[in-house]
Formats: sequence, C-alpha cells, structure tokens
Amino acid sequence: MANLTIRGARKAYGATVALSRGDFDLKEGEVHVLIGSNGSGKSTLCKIVSGSVRPDAGEVLIDGKPVSIDGPRAARALGIATFYQELSLAAHRTVAENIGLPELPGKGGIFVDRARLNAIAERHISRFADVAGEGFSADTRVEHLREDQRQLVEIMKALATEAPILIFDEPTSSLDRAQVERFFEILRELKAEGRAIVFISHRMDEIFSVGDRVTVIRDGETVGTSQISETNPANIIRQMVGETELAVTEGAPPATVEAKAEAVLSVAGLSGKGFAGVSFEVRRGEILGFGGLHGQGQSAVLRSIFGVSPAAAGSIRINREERAIRSPREAIRCGLAYVSGDRGRDGVVHGRPILENVTPIHFLRNRLSLVRPGSLRERAAKPLSALKTRFAGYEQPVNALSGGNQQKIVIARWLIDRPDVLLLDDPTKGIDLQAKADLFALIRSLAAEGMGIVLYSSEDAELLANADRILVFNSGSVSRELTGADRTRYNLYHAAYEAA
Amino acid sequence: MSAVETRSSSRSGLGALVERFPFLPALVILVALLALNGWFQPNSLGFRAITGLISTYLALMMLAVAQTYVVYAGDVDLSVGAILSLVNCVIIVLMERWGGGGVAVLGAIAIGILTGLACGLLNGIVVAVLRLQAIVATFATSIFFTGLALYVLPVAGTPAPTVYWRTYGGRFFEIPFVFYVVVALAIILAIAVRARLTTQMLAVGDDPFKAFQSGLPVTAIRLKGYVLCGVFSALAALCITGDTASGDPLVGGAMTLYSVAAVVLGGTALSGGRGSVVGSVLGALIIGLINSLVFYVGTPSQWQNLVQGLAILLALMLGVLVTRRVRP
Repeated sequence: MANLTIRGARKAYGATVALSRGDFDLKEGEVHVLIGSNGSGKSTLCKIVSGSVRPDAGEVLIDGKPVSIDGPRAARALGIATFYQELSLAAHRTVAENIGLPELPGKGGIFVDRARLNAIAERHISRFADVAGEGFSADTRVEHLREDQRQLVEIMKALATEAPILIFDEPTSSLDRAQVERFFEILRELKAEGRAIVFISHRMDEIFSVGDRVTVIRDGETVGTSQISETNPANIIRQMVGETELAVTEGAPPATVEAKAEAVLSVAGLSGKGFAGVSFEVRRGEILGFGGLHGQGQSAVLRSIFGVSPAAAGSIRINREERAIRSPREAIRCGLAYVSGDRGRDGVVHGRPILENVTPIHFLRNRLSLVRPGSLRERAAKPLSALKTRFAGYEQPVNALSGGNQQKIVIARWLIDRPDVLLLDDPTKGIDLQAKADLFALIRSLAAEGMGIVLYSSEDAELLANADRILVFNSGSVSRELTGADRTRYNLYHAAYEAA
Repeated sequence: MSAVETRSSSRSGLGALVERFPFLPALVILVALLALNGWFQPNSLGFRAITGLISTYLALMMLAVAQTYVVYAGDVDLSVGAILSLVNCVIIVLMERWGGGGVAVLGAIAIGILTGLACGLLNGIVVAVLRLQAIVATFATSIFFTGLALYVLPVAGTPAPTVYWRTYGGRFFEIPFVFYVVVALAIILAIAVRARLTTQMLAVGDDPFKAFQSGLPVTAIRLKGYVLCGVFSALAALCITGDTASGDPLVGGAMTLYSVAAVVLGGTALSGGRGSVVGSVLGALIIGLINSLVFYVGTPSQWQNLVQGLAILLALMLGVLVTRRVRP
C-alpha cells in the first residue's frame, strides 16, 4: 500500500491559473476529502495525480520517492486509479467491457477471456445489484444506462483496477441515497484494507459520514488540512470563503427595484430534465441571479424557458400572458433573449462576417427577407458602439475577434430590437476582465431601461456584485432566496453546500 | 431524478437484435437484391454466376474489411485503393522477373503482403503518431503510393503467370478456389472479433480522450488499425490480381470510396465505436449485386452509372432508416 504527497503543484492555462500552489498529503488507510468552491482547482489537482494534466511546477512523491506521472498509463502503473467526474466510459461498449478496460483479461495472447471478464464484472455488479435499478447487467451497453447507473459503472471500473491509490472526483453527484450508502460501505472496506482514497464531494453530510481528514482548497491554493472529527461544516465553509471575506457584503448594489414594478417573466412549477418545481418572477428593471454549484439545474431552466428543450410541466408567463414555448424561434418572437457562455455552441456563426452575426434576430423578429446592407450596418452600429466592441470592419469574420469581443457581437444582436427578458447563461465564461466590466455595466443600464434580466453565473463574486436577488439552486430546485443584506458569500456557500 | 424514464425496458426485441448484430439491415437488403437478381435473370442465382460474383468482388470485400479496422477507431483510410494498386504492380513485376514458377509466386505474394504492411505502417505513423488529419494525410499518401506503383509498373498490361490466375479461377475437389478464400476470410474474421485489440479499437473510436484517460495506449491502437488495414489491402490486391490476371498501376483508384460505402452499408458508424466486419463484407456484396442488377435489368450503357448511384443511395437510406427506427 502507498502514501502520496504533492508539493507545490502549479498549473496555468495561458493567463488563467487553475492551480497556484497545491499541497496535499494522502496516507494509506484513510479517506481524504478535498473540498473547494467552483473552479478552485480540485479537479486540476486530481488530474495531475491521474496523469491527464501535466503540472508546470511542483513534485509528486509516492512513499517518499519522487515520481513523474506523464500519462494515465503511467498513473496506472504507479497504482493510481481515478473516477473521472465527466466519466471515462465507452458508450457503445457493454458494462463488462467498460469495467475490464483498458487491459481486458486475455487468453491465448490475443483473445479476450470472456469468462474471466464476466466474472470480474459480476463480482463488482453484485455488490450494487439491489441498488442499481432495472436494466443494469454485465452485457447492457452503457448508452442505455441512466446517469446514476453510468456513475456506478465508472465506480466499478476504478474498483476493478485493485489500485492502492483511488481518486474519486465527485462520484456521488447523480447517485441516490441507497447507492451512496452502498458505495460508502465499500469505501470503508477499502480503507480497512489499507487503500489510500481521495474523495471529492459537495455534500457536507457525505463528507462527515465517510471522511477521515479534509483539505480545503481556495483560489488554486490549498489552505489547510484538518481531522474531520475536529472540525464542523461551518468551519469548513469559513475556510473555503476566507476569513477576510466573511464580513464584507461584496459591495452589492442595493435592490433598487420597486416591489410594485410589474412582473415581466413569471415561471411557476417548471419541471424538466435536471430540474423540478422551479417558480420565480422577474420584475421590470430587476437582475435576478441564479447561484449554486455547477450543474444544479440553472442552465437547464434557462434553456427550457428559451425553448431549447421545452419543460415537461409548469407555466411560463411573459407580460402576464401565458405562453407555450416549444422552440427558440417562438421564444424570440415572445420577446425573450438568450446569451450563453458557450459561444462556440450557442452563439457565433463561425467563419461568417460580423454583420451577419449581429443581424439574424433583427431578420427573425421583423420577418425580413431582403434588406439593403447599408441600412443593416446603420442598425448594427448603435449596439456595437454602445458595447465598445473593437473590430476592423463589418465584413471581418467573427472568428478573428477575441472571446470577449465575440460575446459582445452575440449580445449586440439582441439589442437592435429590444427584448423584454434577457436570459444570461454564464455569459462571461472565458472573457477578459475589461470585457466583463463593460458587459455588466451594459446589463445594469438595460435593467434601468426596464428590461427583466436573469443572470446565471458560475462565478460567485460576479453574482454577488450584480444580482439584486439570488436564487440558490441545489439538485435541480431552488433551495434558498437571498435578498438585500443576506447576499453574502457565506450565505451563498452555505445554501449551495447544504445537504440535498 | 426519479422522473427519468428507464430506456432499457422500452427497448424492442428487434432493437436489441440489431444492436447485437449491426449487419442485420445489410443482410435484409442483400437478400432482397438476390431475389431481384433472380427475378430479372434466373441464371444469376446459379452456381456459376455466384462464383463469378464472388471472384469479381472478393477484392472489394477484403478492401471493405481493411477499411473497417480504421473506421472502428474513428479514423478513415483514403489510400486503400492506392495500396491495392501498388501491391498489384509489385507482385506482377516480381513474378515476371522471377520466372513465374510456383516459388516465384509464393515469394512475390509474401513481398506483396509486406508491402501492404509497410504502407499501413506509414499511414499509421502519419495519422496516429504525427496526428495529421486522417482524411487529408491518407489522401496524400494515396498519391504517393500511386506514384510508387507507376514507378514499379509504368504501363498497365503485364500479364500474371498462368499458374496464378488458373489457381484463383480454378477448382479443388469440385469447389471453386475463391470459396476456400471466403472460408479462410470467415475464420480470420471470427478470430478477430474475439481479439482484445478489436474491443480496444472500438473503445478508442467511441471517444479517444476518454479512452486515453482510461489508460488505453491510444496511439499504438490506432497504429495497429492502420497496419491491419494495409495488410488486408494487400490481400485485396492478391484477389484483384487473380481476377484481372494483369498489372495496372491505377486499378484500385476507384475502389477506395467503394470500400467506405461498403463499410457504411454494413452498419458501421463512420464516427467510430460501433460496427462489424461482417457488415462490411455484406456491404461489398450489396454493391456487387447492385452492379449486376443494373446490368440484368437491361439499363442502357449511358444510364448505368446514374442508376447504380441512385441504387446505392437508396440502399444507404434504407439501412439508415431501419437502424434509426429500431434503435432510437
């Protein structure tokens, strides 16, 4: 069995520092919890150990000896197995094949030993048999499994390596209570065998139920390690937030919106894939924030309101009028606008000129088919200059611009004909600080002109600084509403990390 | 979420069957084409006609198998036809130079297979190790291989030794030689299906990055795929040499995209991760039967290409529709 030590690990992607100083120490026979807020560097630290990210600086030691991990294969050879948060399964292969990869038990040199493969798979499947749910067997293809079942396969795949060091990066995010309990039983057995286990989770109750020690990581630095028995959830959250930030209310703007202002968007009992029973109202002039950990349903709610994947139940009213929106096209005609942080997928029209990227909504809302380019340019000029967009000419392809300027182009297209509601889905992903500042200044002025704005941001600081009211999402529903002086970093973390 | 529906229970029996045997739609189309051929020309289902069909399309069957192994891993090889041409020229020239006896033939065959292997290795290095785009890189190597073939044999027409084509077109114990080749191919494919490499290639094709994270040697696996592809292209060259009994540096040019079509007709996903070699063999036969059907129906010669193209398009659409219908 083995001990693992990481000293001064550092990783930067261009100008963004994902991990600035990672120190970590893992002993055999323990479950060591790693916790930190969104983007604090936990996953980067794990990926350095599992070999899929190469650190810029720092060293990794196993049993005191420095090792170099230059790929997942090298990690395997050193006895490190990883549960990947985004899963590493081959969708078209069976459960058994996935558990057996990469080595696959062999016979006669080239063949797969099916009997042995199935025996290994069955041994792991049987431990979860009564909690895995229906349709889960060794010869089922992974593509037919539910999300929680896929997570179980990824767990089994890590367990099947019999590695002395096991890293579990958010293994329980989709599992139900019974599945989590079973997984914890297994973790305790492995611990008793002397394995060293890293466990990442955002659920406090899980951390205190299975962990031995906890290391907190904040803004790319590990800030401290303590025994689970000697700490409590409030302490951990305080460490994650940082002592200096505790008292400050982040200079949040006062909620200027009059309570009497009319509701421009009201959503009631909205349920769909990834969220359930979401209700809220946005008034004219208000910026409503969506907060919480990644992937708790915030994006899914916004996308469903915009008609990308319509909700299964619930009602949407725009200007007090009930609307059944089944496609983005209908949403746009109802006066909704949507800007996604994933510009590549949802925003820019690749390789096309700037003018074409600014005007599609204008065409759609006015049902235009033929327009003089000159008059289009005039219409496009105003929002672009309001956004301080820097570009050489309207015929320049949009890809030539920086991420921040591309996002401005995408936002400008909604401003030629003003929408009633602007849905912002993590809009500042990968754009620079100046562009962010321009963006939020614009959003505030749009709100002041009477637009209703919904802002989801994965950066808590952004949310606290810009939203008048924050709905904290947890496991697909709204767990808490923060208004006025309650909008503090501490409250936001507390609500986000509460047990689901 | 408890609201998530269980897809597994709503899967139809037919869907599960097609998932297990992805070549089933191709098999149905093949049987239908056989029936149509028989309808328009009863003789076409006779022993002689079937033997003729197989000896003509055995090369395409081999080439489709070759293509399948790179497609499994999510790659493609646009040089299979050029490799076939090169090997065809190499063995023709060697057999002529060494006197055309039995030993000369066997020696030339061995060198030919090694040539195919070397070509596959070069493709693998360029695509998997140097990480150039598969489509463009293998297109470039195809021009290079064609150039080599033209150097080895500048003008088409050198005949193969009598012993070579007599064996290919002949019979042993009243059974045509090509049938033995088909049986040998079946045995090789049955072995390959059970190989670890096949499962690993499919896992790479599913998602190369996830396969890498799982600890699979992705580069080595893709490289092996290209080497296998080169070897099967060489085997295809041996067949075409038996069928045409001569050397031609441009013989394989048109066959490359036919091999890709055969792979897709057989139900293999071009994006990788899913498919079967059996399907590709059936796909090659479907193309063969479409060509003979166009002839039997009595299509005027100037319309033959047009009808052929439409028929292949139709077969592709049928296969895709059936697959989509049964496994949503």
